[in-house]
Amino acid sequence: MEFLLELLTEELPASHIRSAREQLESGFRRELDEARIEVRSLRTLATPRRLIVTGDLAEGQEDREEIVTGPPLAIAKAPDGSLTPAGKGFARSQGVDESLLGPVRTPKGEYLGFTRRAKGTPTAEILAAAVPRVLGSLAFPKLMRWAESPLRFSRPIHGLLCVFGGAPVAASFAGFQAGDETVGHRIAAPGRIKAADFASYRQALAQSSVIIDPEERRRMILDQIEAALAPVKARVYPDPGLLDDLTLNVECPLVIFGAFPESFLSLPLEVLSTAMREGQKLFSVVRDKKQLPYFLGVADAPADAKGLIRRGNERVLRARLEDARFFWDQDRKVPLADRAEGLESVLFQEKLGTYEDKTQRLKKIVGYLCDRLGAAGEREAAVEAASLCKADLLTEMVKEFSGLQGRMGGLYAKAEGLPPAVHQAIYEHYQPVGLDDASPSTTAGALLSIADKMDSIVGGIGVGLQVSGSSDPFGLRRNAHGVCKVVLDRKLRFSFPLFLDRILAVYGDRLTLARPEVKAACLDFFAGRLRFILEKKGWRYDLVNAALGPGIDQILDVQARVEALDALKSSPQFEPFILMVKRINNILKGLPAAKVNADLFVEKEERELASTLSIVGSNAQPMIARGDFARAQGIIFKLQPVLNTFFEKVLVMAEDKKIRQNRLGLLQSISKMLLGIADYSQVVVEGERTAKPKGGR
Amino acid sequence: MSVQDLILGLHRFWAGQGCYLAQTYDVEVGAGTMTPDTFFRVLDKRPWRVGYVQPSRRPDDGRYGENPNRVQKHFQYQVIMKPSPDAIQDIYVRSLRSLGVVLEDHDLRFDEDNWESPTIGAWGVGWQVMLDGLEITQFTYFQQCGGIELAPVPVEITYGLERLEMFLEQKDDIYDLDWSADVTYRDLRLREEKEFSEYNFQAASVTALKQAFNACQKEAGRLIAKDLLLPAYDMCLKCSHNFNLLDSRGAISVTERVKMISQIRALVNDIARRYTGGKDGT
Repeated sequence: MEFLLELLTEELPASHIRSAREQLESGFRRELDEARIEVRSLRTLATPRRLIVTGDLAEGQEDREEIVTGPPLAIAKAPDGSLTPAGKGFARSQGVDESLLGPVRTPKGEYLGFTRRAKGTPTAEILAAAVPRVLGSLAFPKLMRWAESPLRFSRPIHGLLCVFGGAPVAASFAGFQAGDETVGHRIAAPGRIKAADFASYRQALAQSSVIIDPEERRRMILDQIEAALAPVKARVYPDPGLLDDLTLNVECPLVIFGAFPESFLSLPLEVLSTAMREGQKLFSVVRDKKQLPYFLGVADAPADAKGLIRRGNERVLRARLEDARFFWDQDRKVPLADRAEGLESVLFQEKLGTYEDKTQRLKKIVGYLCDRLGAAGEREAAVEAASLCKADLLTEMVKEFSGLQGRMGGLYAKAEGLPPAVHQAIYEHYQPVGLDDASPSTTAGALLSIADKMDSIVGGIGVGLQVSGSSDPFGLRRNAHGVCKVVLDRKLRFSFPLFLDRILAVYGDRLTLARPEVKAACLDFFAGRLRFILEKKGWRYDLVNAALGPGIDQILDVQARVEALDALKSSPQFEPFILMVKRINNILKGLPAAKVNADLFVEKEERELASTLSIVGSNAQPMIARGDFARAQGIIFKLQPVLNTFFEKVLVMAEDKKIRQNRLGLLQSISKMLLGIADYSQVVVEGERTAKPKGGR
Repeated sequence: MSVQDLILGLHRFWAGQGCYLAQTYDVEVGAGTMTPDTFFRVLDKRPWRVGYVQPSRRPDDGRYGENPNRVQKHFQYQVIMKPSPDAIQDIYVRSLRSLGVVLEDHDLRFDEDNWESPTIGAWGVGWQVMLDGLEITQFTYFQQCGGIELAPVPVEITYGLERLEMFLEQKDDIYDLDWSADVTYRDLRLREEKEFSEYNFQAASVTALKQAFNACQKEAGRLIAKDLLLPAYDMCLKCSHNFNLLDSRGAISVTERVKMISQIRALVNDIARRYTGGKDGT
């Protein structure tokens, strides 16, 4: 039977709608599942003013039979078959007719009992209780109260439509009794609408200028954009985030195609598109990668018959572009180097000082990276970029459009005539903003990006800023993702712990926590971020754990380790090898370190193992050192047959203590060498998975 | 329709909604929210409805009269309804219709925008109302004021009068607006914008402003101790305006900024607590 729910509200933020849809779907599925109501289909829809759930549910729970047992038969029945007082008492207490009682066989013997038939609860009744629970449990990033209502919600609530099988459900929420009515579009068709099933609900709303399906609205927007652009042979500049938001900002999408004076095309593309996007939420129009003096907007209206919406938007955009041009002209009157002097009055973080302090640190940190990475040729440009990269925070343009920080500095540096390496590095130093954003394209830009982000991470952790769940006010996670992405994309080899030492030294005594503590916390934090990034790239969690086992000396190596493991995971040698390593680790577990003395070898198999180990070790060591784990791994696999024979022929736990210690020492040196490649004991192999379903982690 | 007609229209409309029409407050403020008709009246539990015009002074927005959209003083029409009526969005939409706007020909949107004023310990949730891409109103359900959780919840509707008038007159330059049939915005305000821009950015004495800030701050504390809360609050408003002027003079360092804002907030929060019956600062 059909279920339909609509919670009518005031305009919800797009991010709240996205999260509410997920919560509604999982909430209703959970409630119905727990109530044993069959869900044939269930989905959510939404507009800025409506959260909608619809689906096909069973009419009610299945009827159930349960066997109720009473006293043992021997006590409940007299030899003549009649009920004893105990038997009668059972019938009375259960409210069941005596004639329905009979023998029930159980493993413990025969008892008096009967079969109770329980009628399933109708779905409408289940829904009446579930609806307020699911709606009441919706969580939003920011909650509000209104009027005198004690409830907290995303925005005030105005009605509840909830029908099952054509009849209103006896549910209420936020003081609204569920009914079969709603309203149309706020401006175009604000009248009341009655709807007891999904088809008529959808149709009646469509007639009242409300398209309830976000996917349909998205298609309408894209179709209208295409139709608008066909005559001018141009394309919309893709902006998926803006499209997603606009889809959730309107009930009745209408694409507005407008123009602005060509003279504004002298402004940088970045400025134009930001001025259009921020505030007015307009799309840019391009042809052959060149911006055209047009824009596309999405209005919430059935039509713009008089062209007033278009003209209004054109006027507002013109004023914004005037402002942007004013900023562009004004800002260029002061060279970035002069402007950077003002950074001493801009706070970076309360305990970490001003942006001037940060700038001084960045110069040292990026210089260190250039030295370490053999980028001496880039050093001068990178350090100059570091000294100027934050100056744009003081420009009028960035004060107005904060999303342009970094890029704006790069544009001003270019306009000022600074060398390409410098202005490009400034332009790119905020990149990548997330794992999906591109890394800087230049070396100086990449190193400055790492320096900037690491300065924030070490500083943030060093003054005790916490990252937990969804809370990450200082953007530490995003910054760490950026650092890892640049290192992995550009395959940068440098010791990460030494880099941390350097940054901590640059910070001096500014941090509130002790250096070793900060360093350990940073390593731990990066291990967590690398785990997240590598698992997101699709590697098995146990291989990622194994790759992280040796610790982070080189960020690049962690990925190289997991790649090596992954490449070999399907080889026939792999599992026996892993099992062998686990066996060794089990033997060594908790034992103190022991020394190997070649004179103490007794059997030829242990001598052979020792000599193979020394050859394998000297071959593998240089490969490990340069991060070629795949080949190192190939070589150490050669230990396997020798180890097999060793375990077959040699008793490790020999009675003689010296011989035993010597053999354990040999195994320890194998284990130590292996740990240079990966912590193989973290790998979960097939045999283990079936034997110990929870094993592994 | 002139600015004057717009004000009359809004007065008539909101008086019809049971609002008392207050007169402009005579201390410089950054927003209508800061005047006593809003600040004190939202704190207690009594119902309250008020509408008034309030000049809003933002020294940093001065453009020497050369920018067609920005001025260092503009006019707000401020409405407070407490408790927030259930149909307040519809009422607001009707207020626009009452000004002659045929909304069917336009795109009216409520875009997420949460408002916050750290100086007076206030924040709220709501929207900026956009008409064909132009922000004409700030629409906020107050959640907190003076650091106090508000119940019942008031709704604040702040129309930007010049913005709305530019829409109504279809004009691109603020100075071209008609204030009345024969007086333009230029006649009334251009000289003021030029002179005040120069004052805000260049001429104001930093020493005098700092002294004034300190004196008002001290006076506020002294008056709070005497339980003279309204005069004490006036002193806080003067602190806030002096702070804004110092800021536009570029005379406030990072640490000073944080310190001065928190100094004002502490006084304002103390006033709010005492006004609602709490005794001391905890």
